[in-house]
Amino acid sequence: MDNAPILNVAALRAKVADEDLEILKGVDLTIKPGEIHAIMGPNGSGKSTLAKVIAGHPAYEPTGGSVYFGGEDLLDMEPDERAQAGVFMAFQYPVEIPGVSIANFLRTALRARLEEDEELDLFDFQELLMDRMELLEMDPSFAQRPVNDGFSGGEKKRNEILQMAVLKPSLAVMDETDSGLDIDALKIVANGVNTLKRESPGKSVLLITHYQRILNHISPDVVHVMVDGRIVESGGPEVALELEARGYEEYRKAHAA
Amino acid sequence: MSQAAAVHKRTAPVIGRAAVVETATTDPPWLRARRDEAWSIYQATPMPSTRSEEWRYTDLARKLRLDELVVADGDRGPGAGAGTVLPDALRQTMDQDRDGAGRIVEVDGKVVSVELDESLARQGVELASLRDAARQGDGDIQRLLATEAVPASDGKFPALNAALWSDGVFLRIPRGVHVERPIRLSRWVSRPGNATFTRILIVAETSSRLSFVEEILSPDFDRTTLVNSAVEVFARGGAQVQYVSLQRLGHGGFYLANQRTLAERDSTLDTLNVALGGSVGRVDLNARLLGPGANSDMLGLYFGDTEQHFDFNTSQDHVSPSAHSDLLYKGALDGSARGVFRGIIRVHEGAQGTDAYQTNRNLILSDDAIATSLPNLEIEADDVRCSHGATVGQLDAEALFYLMSRGLTRGKAERLVVLGFLGEVLARLPMGGVVEKVTNAIVAKLRNV
Amino acid sequence: MPSNEVIQGLGLDDYKFGFVTDSEPVFRTRPGLDAEIVEQISARKDEPEWMLKRRLKALRIYESKPMPKWGGDLSELEDTLRQTYFYVKPQEQMERSWDDVPESIKETFERLGIPEAERKILAGVGAQYDSEMVYHSLKEEWEAKGVIFDSIEDGLKNHPELFRKHFGTVIPAADNKFAALNSAVWSGGSFVYIPRGVELETPLQAYFRVNQERLGQFERTLIIADEGSRAHYIEGCTAPVYSTDSFHSGVIEIVVNRNAYFRYTTIQNWSNNMYNLVTQRALVNQGAHMEWLDGNLGSKLTMKYPSCYLMGERAHGEILSIAYAGDGQHQDTGGKVIHVAPNTSSSIVSKSISKGTGRSSYRGLCKVYDGAANARSNVECDALLINETSRTDTFPYIEIDEKSATVGHEATVSKVGDEQLFYLMSRGMDEAEAMALIVRGFIEPIAKELPLEYAVELNRLIEMEMEGSVG
Repeated sequence: MDNAPILNVAALRAKVADEDLEILKGVDLTIKPGEIHAIMGPNGSGKSTLAKVIAGHPAYEPTGGSVYFGGEDLLDMEPDERAQAGVFMAFQYPVEIPGVSIANFLRTALRARLEEDEELDLFDFQELLMDRMELLEMDPSFAQRPVNDGFSGGEKKRNEILQMAVLKPSLAVMDETDSGLDIDALKIVANGVNTLKRESPGKSVLLITHYQRILNHISPDVVHVMVDGRIVESGGPEVALELEARGYEEYRKAHAA
Repeated sequence: MSQAAAVHKRTAPVIGRAAVVETATTDPPWLRARRDEAWSIYQATPMPSTRSEEWRYTDLARKLRLDELVVADGDRGPGAGAGTVLPDALRQTMDQDRDGAGRIVEVDGKVVSVELDESLARQGVELASLRDAARQGDGDIQRLLATEAVPASDGKFPALNAALWSDGVFLRIPRGVHVERPIRLSRWVSRPGNATFTRILIVAETSSRLSFVEEILSPDFDRTTLVNSAVEVFARGGAQVQYVSLQRLGHGGFYLANQRTLAERDSTLDTLNVALGGSVGRVDLNARLLGPGANSDMLGLYFGDTEQHFDFNTSQDHVSPSAHSDLLYKGALDGSARGVFRGIIRVHEGAQGTDAYQTNRNLILSDDAIATSLPNLEIEADDVRCSHGATVGQLDAEALFYLMSRGLTRGKAERLVVLGFLGEVLARLPMGGVVEKVTNAIVAKLRNV
Repeated sequence: MPSNEVIQGLGLDDYKFGFVTDSEPVFRTRPGLDAEIVEQISARKDEPEWMLKRRLKALRIYESKPMPKWGGDLSELEDTLRQTYFYVKPQEQMERSWDDVPESIKETFERLGIPEAERKILAGVGAQYDSEMVYHSLKEEWEAKGVIFDSIEDGLKNHPELFRKHFGTVIPAADNKFAALNSAVWSGGSFVYIPRGVELETPLQAYFRVNQERLGQFERTLIIADEGSRAHYIEGCTAPVYSTDSFHSGVIEIVVNRNAYFRYTTIQNWSNNMYNLVTQRALVNQGAHMEWLDGNLGSKLTMKYPSCYLMGERAHGEILSIAYAGDGQHQDTGGKVIHVAPNTSSSIVSKSISKGTGRSSYRGLCKVYDGAANARSNVECDALLINETSRTDTFPYIEIDEKSATVGHEATVSKVGDEQLFYLMSRGMDEAEAMALIVRGFIEPIAKELPLEYAVELNRLIEMEMEGSVG
């Protein structure tokens, strides 16, 4: 396994774009190829903001530090360029796009990755899509439904996983994908991630979560605790268990500056 | 009675300049000038005709003969003024309002009594006859009466009201004061063929809280009897105001109201209009959202039977960005009643982040009833969430069947469904006393179905 | 909010039909309108006396009616009409073969792709150039079955009884000011008769082209779909871009007889100097089915509300309306459904997109008369706003005099959301592609109703077909 990190976040600071509200206050994080990292933290700790800053959400503005993806400076790139480079964010609240089928949406997303003189073969695409849906045990009719329009919470998450399977990113950022899910939906997400990991072990995953329970289904290599815009502790899976036992309160007190 | 009527006839002026002069006799100069100006605007303004969009479905020229009316004045004639023996119907409804934090009674356009809880008076809450307050030269009244909210320039009837109003209510809640129980206005109109003009001016200062309920009642009349109101409500920053109007006039009553609410930053200004009585009822309601965070819930309920005609003309003006308004008007129409709802959401240029909704639902209960619904949108900003919906339908056959299968007669089942349909509006503003009163009035009407 | 470059990149404002053809008319009336001009038009068409009388009567009605005060801004229209040529005859006679059409005119239609479409997908084609139909033809198999597809003038000449029985009965001259104007100066348009039980498998198309500067074009179309028949008629419209305003005012009358099905599709893509004020109405008889598919993309101001009068039991009317208003354009469109008979049903679906300083207004009427028992109607209007300066309005009228009617109206206004854009961009699309995908999804419910060729045309017209072309 190549030992150069896939993601390198150094002293990252970020604020809400329209306000003077700093949320990330110096985040350091290094993920190597093939690793699964989990970031846990209480509400308002900034963990979801970190996911959005990595993906380039316009609601947040980086004010210091750096984010390197492979050798590229992510902060200099548009959201679509980051996606094309191999970053994928599974949304906490996937957005509805009425009238646009999932198949059409994915075809457009794949086509955007091609060079100008390249064409996406329709049959190749169909084959890929069917293959991915089979892998995730999804009904083919799902691809004909409009993106997230009228979907249940579980269906929206399924759709995020399918997109990840089709777009094959080298880093998947799961932004609280597990929040508000019942146990069945949680398993869908976990199985999807595990299936894709088995298929290509070199992929990295950054799992943002409030709860320990998803870690019963996805085993992280590294667990970080984030409080008040900083990572305050990192370690193995035992950190998550400890956190579960002690609660966030203690960390918050310990790190209240 | 016939003698009194004869006296009445001799002294009562028709709608005209002389009436304005007479009404203004004891006014301060600024008010006299304002009435004069309003009268010239009235004269220069044509009578609304069905050719104009806003009056398309209410033919005033046919329904209302202004020259046959005489101007009411509670000061004039026997049996009015303080110490008057109040009619039973008015007493009854006032008895139900015992819980009011303040009570004010108006008979034939003249305030006859004002009561306000001691503790509120001590906190600086002012509840008064508008006429008295204006004569005492309150600066707020001079500045706000018929200027910002319902000025004479608004139209034919706002002008007529500004020229001829005889009395009304002035209510001011000082900064930060919370009035927990409603303040109630009971209005009685007794004289057939009269035209009554009154006004309400409410100022809720910063962060104050208030509920105001007005109710108008009358006996049945053998001829058209006009009641015209102008209602001006100001909610300053962060204030929370509820304004409720219950219209329960008798047959022959012709109700014309112009209401405008002005909601500043982070204030809540909710309204409820209930129309049950009278022969013709027309309410023009304009909610202006003037500051970010302002919110107006606008509720309406109408239930018409016989040949009743109800016309609501509402507008939601989003002048400021990031304000919210939500309108729900529901009506049931029986007999050969007609219900008209015309509503417009205007999102002004620059009012980004607006949330505005508008819903009108109608239930037609008889073959001859007519429902007209015109929900409009005018959007000049792009970052908005706006929607409107309108429906016209009959009683849901499934629901009726379900209730009947549980043993209710068709009549009872129908009443229950109508009550449920209209009840949704009351449930959105669950104010003590109002829900019971309106529900009872609907039930009484439903007995005739 | 998408950036300005992205919005320009959408290319919504490219107008590729703005070319002018150098062709000399064979006759043209002087600018302006009076009785003498009406007489000249009638004489040129060699009409029977009754038609001239009708025209002159309609002119008096037109002159007596005031300009509408509602809808779009018509304040400059009276000036425009004083300068307008009300009749311009491009060639001596209408042809049945493209080979006989004068070269310059033929070339115009070739650039617009009409002869090619005719060969491929159409049952018949009519082509109007300025004030007259220059070409009309119908495939033989349909002619053999008794289908009539002709210019309106030939309809009057060759089928006088059928013509007179229906002409002006669906839309009388007094209906509105512009219907009166059209009734006075009409020229060109189609006369269509689909015989009992005949089902046309491919559409008929009429193409309207304005070439003359300051022209007034007054197409008049009369369509009778007889019992149990089935057909689809398409009209397309384009014009050169001039600095002066032009005027198009059509009247389309349709009678849909018992159990017949008729669809009328308009893809209006006039240049942005065109006033487009059109009256379209169908009488829908027992068990019959009428659909208007109304696409308004071009013009300076369009005021157009296709309507269905549901006259017979179980009649059904449908209006699908799509409007695009770019900079300086006002699309005041919508539809009317009038329920007269019991068990009738209708639906209106309207989608509009406003961009730049464009304004789209939905204006509609749903009327249920007393006695139209169990009438059902549903109206849905959705508006999409692209810029802060874009504007949309919704003015529905709902008038219900029948207890057992069920009527619903829903409208929403939305903008292209930042969240939506970011979601798509986070999947690798650039801003323009993301925009195009969202807009295309928005109009999808209507676009899918178009025949494939026209869906592609629509996509191209509004530049929905963005993939690979931008970025």
